[in-house]
Amino acid sequence: MWRHAAGRIALAVPVLLGVVLVGFLLMQVVPTDPAIVRAGPMASMEVVEAIRRDLGLDQPLHVQFALYLWRLLHGDLGVSIINNVPVARELGNTIGPTLELMAASLIWSIPLGIGMGTLAAYLRGSFTDRAIMALSVAGVSVPVFFLGLVLIWYVGFQWQLLPFTGRQGPLWTLEGLRGVALPAITLGGVFVGPVARMTRTAVLETLSADHVRTARAKGLTETAVVLHHALRNALIPVVTLIGLQIGFLLGGAVVTETVFSWPGVGRLAVGAITSSDFPMAQGTIIVLSAGFILVNLAVDLLYGVLDPRVRGA
Amino acid sequence: MTAAWVARPTVLRLVLRDVAAAASAGFLALVVLAALLAPWLAPFDPYETDLMAVMQPPGGQDYPLGTDGQGRDMLSRLLFGLRVTLAMGLTALVFGGVIGVTVGFIAAYWRRVDGLLMRLMDVLLSFPAILFGLALAAIFGPGLIAVVIALSVATVPLMARIARSTALVVMAQDYIEAARATGMGDWRLIRRHLAPNCVAPLMVFATLRLGQVILLGSALSFLGLGAQAPTAELGAMAAQGRTFLFFAPHISVIPSFAIFAIVLACNLLGDALRDALDPKLRP
Repeated sequence: MWRHAAGRIALAVPVLLGVVLVGFLLMQVVPTDPAIVRAGPMASMEVVEAIRRDLGLDQPLHVQFALYLWRLLHGDLGVSIINNVPVARELGNTIGPTLELMAASLIWSIPLGIGMGTLAAYLRGSFTDRAIMALSVAGVSVPVFFLGLVLIWYVGFQWQLLPFTGRQGPLWTLEGLRGVALPAITLGGVFVGPVARMTRTAVLETLSADHVRTARAKGLTETAVVLHHALRNALIPVVTLIGLQIGFLLGGAVVTETVFSWPGVGRLAVGAITSSDFPMAQGTIIVLSAGFILVNLAVDLLYGVLDPRVRGA
Repeated sequence: MTAAWVARPTVLRLVLRDVAAAASAGFLALVVLAALLAPWLAPFDPYETDLMAVMQPPGGQDYPLGTDGQGRDMLSRLLFGLRVTLAMGLTALVFGGVIGVTVGFIAAYWRRVDGLLMRLMDVLLSFPAILFGLALAAIFGPGLIAVVIALSVATVPLMARIARSTALVVMAQDYIEAARATGMGDWRLIRRHLAPNCVAPLMVFATLRLGQVILLGSALSFLGLGAQAPTAELGAMAAQGRTFLFFAPHISVIPSFAIFAIVLACNLLGDALRDALDPKLRP
């Protein structure tokens, strides 16, 4: 158990460092001087020189990287070129909404996907199975922005049922829930398909396992066999596969945030890149990558807890 | 899996018997043809604006698919947009595929480097494609080049894994042993015996991947990180139409639906090919 965990962590640390290094080198190739940015447009040359010394920009590259790491560990990600706001503060403001959106998308799409996948596996070959699988292929093929625009057009604009721009408030208020509804339906909508598909495959596998045959032989009802014996054992691979699909979800979240003007990290990153705000772009990319590595690590560790067979591997 | 190499003629028959797969193959052929013939098929210049005819709805006499916010003919832009989007997807698939397959073959053939190469692929694989897209657009500036590189990089580890596992199955066959016994060199063996026998499963994966690459690439263009205005690219066209969504939804809907249809066809065809090659998975 611990060896499995240690191995995973040992692999994640150099990858995390590599991400930071790439992010650091990113700032070396772009045509901006961080000292001038920090000093602001009105500063004199002396002030810029002083800041340059302060930031260690007159040092060799490897020293600069060490200094950069040091600042990073203290939450200093630099300052935006566009509005002079600290990158860390902007990130702090946007991470919450992104997590909100992801949670609101997963909370309905995972149960629905697992339910659809189980039903499809149980009724293998039937019309229902075919319909569910057709729906799931359509789900993985539809561009996220298409789904979002269609929902905005019908639900938001034509029927005036739900708001479709920006976050309306905290999730525990009615307004907040109404505000997150359309983005969460969009992002969750493209996630149901893959979950249903993975669940179907996993349940089909367990349905033909010996212990399921035994359960049938001792006279359990089909519902009990499917839910308690097949689905339950299929859930381990499904949970892992869902965890590994978080990257897919992140891509969808970036697009969803842009379509619905949702104030999250993805929209911040895209805005920073298209407006050449390099420190902001660097900060968002590093944080998104780091968050992603940590999620993968968590999924790996969770897998080790859930399935004793992988611990030795 | 081994049945795949014996029964190639039946694969085609199986796929064509599947109505959805046959329709998908036909549709994709038409799309490619339309993209290739765009300059001859398009009734107008896709970049020619007509401010007297902005946001015309589809179904008009002059403009069968209507016009966009600047009065450009949607049909012409769609045809030219198909070109850019398909070229973007195929270029990334070819680059990523060639590098990935090379890595996979090397890992399968020279087992000493296998561990190292595959760990490297695992690291690449652990990042979602959207992050490559964001990072490369930040470095090179938004544009099609950044998108193609990002999609290629994201394709390499997937292709490498499939190529490696396929190659390992082939390497265990007797004819490889026989070829080696005749004193055939490594490269010749790979070129003459290993590679040709891996083509079918790799093609299946490439078909499925093409859909995903197009989906991702058009999403990056939609975000403004890929093709830049006024380039006719399906994702960028959908983004431009957002401004006019409430007056003229067709400007966004037509290119978005085109992407959807192409990706769906790739997925249906890829699924059918995989089922035909791997009888275990057949429903």
